[in-house]
Amino acid sequence: MIELKKFGTTLISRQTGKEAFLACQSLLQDIKKTEMIELDFKDVLSFSPSWGDEFLTPLLKKFKENLILRKTNNPSVLATLEILETTLNKKFEIAK
Amino acid sequence: MGRNFVILKKDVQEIEKNSSSLFKIAKKWAVTREKIPDKFYCQNSAIFQTRLVKMETLLQKDKNAKDLFSLLTSIAGEIGNNSFDHNLGQWPDIPGIFFGYDLNKKQIVLADRGLGILQTLKRVRPALKNHLEALKTAFTEIISGRSPESRGNGLKYVRHVIVKYPINLVFETGNAKLKLNNGNHNLIIEDVMESINGCLALITW
Repeated sequence: MIELKKFGTTLISRQTGKEAFLACQSLLQDIKKTEMIELDFKDVLSFSPSWGDEFLTPLLKKFKENLILRKTNNPSVLATLEILETTLNKKFEIAK
Repeated sequence: MGRNFVILKKDVQEIEKNSSSLFKIAKKWAVTREKIPDKFYCQNSAIFQTRLVKMETLLQKDKNAKDLFSLLTSIAGEIGNNSFDHNLGQWPDIPGIFFGYDLNKKQIVLADRGLGILQTLKRVRPALKNHLEALKTAFTEIISGRSPESRGNGLKYVRHVIVKYPINLVFETGNAKLKLNNGNHNLIIEDVMESINGCLALITW
């Protein structure tokens, strides 16, 4: 499981989203595409499509339905997921 | 007479207060390059990110904004970061942005002296004729001025949030002005007399 708060609680710019994705590569390299990977937004304060596009989009492309997002009530996370889903024409899997 | 004088004095103070509002200071900077106080000027995106996090902390504590702090921070972040992302290495004169906020007046103001939306989008959409068309395109179509990079959803996100939450936006570029009001999908776009080279945004809630 990846806890996004470990990259900061204000996840806004493309630059920091890209850096976070690169930093994650060492964690992800041993995970097969067929394995589940879970993301947790707990304690994230603000989230934006720029950060999300740099971090979530490549993960979604790689892991597809095996990328699972934990439920959150944070409005900026929810609004960002909606806009990314529209742009990518793909749905994120949300944990039940 | 005494009472009338008091009212008149109060009115004058109100006019002075309004004339020094953040939006007017930012617009003057955007139009005339008039020097702005350092506290409003973010020369690079690192300074902007630091001040954005400070605003986020203050918004969280503000009773009028605590339910919206996350959205206000993210839309201000998208607009401010757009200025840096689209003008990096191409600032016509002054690099960086104006970033100010007044939580008592429930407003956030951002401005840049960059290329503006028309010039940025013309790289990928040469048929765009004027600032009004460019502004509409920026807020309605997934299109990136930094193609082939995958970008271009920031201002659509801003619109998406404003339609759903009690937030309003005024956005100017060139001689075009857009108004977006909470709950309304419609974009109100009109000509303005005073043209600016870059972008100017007022977020209220």
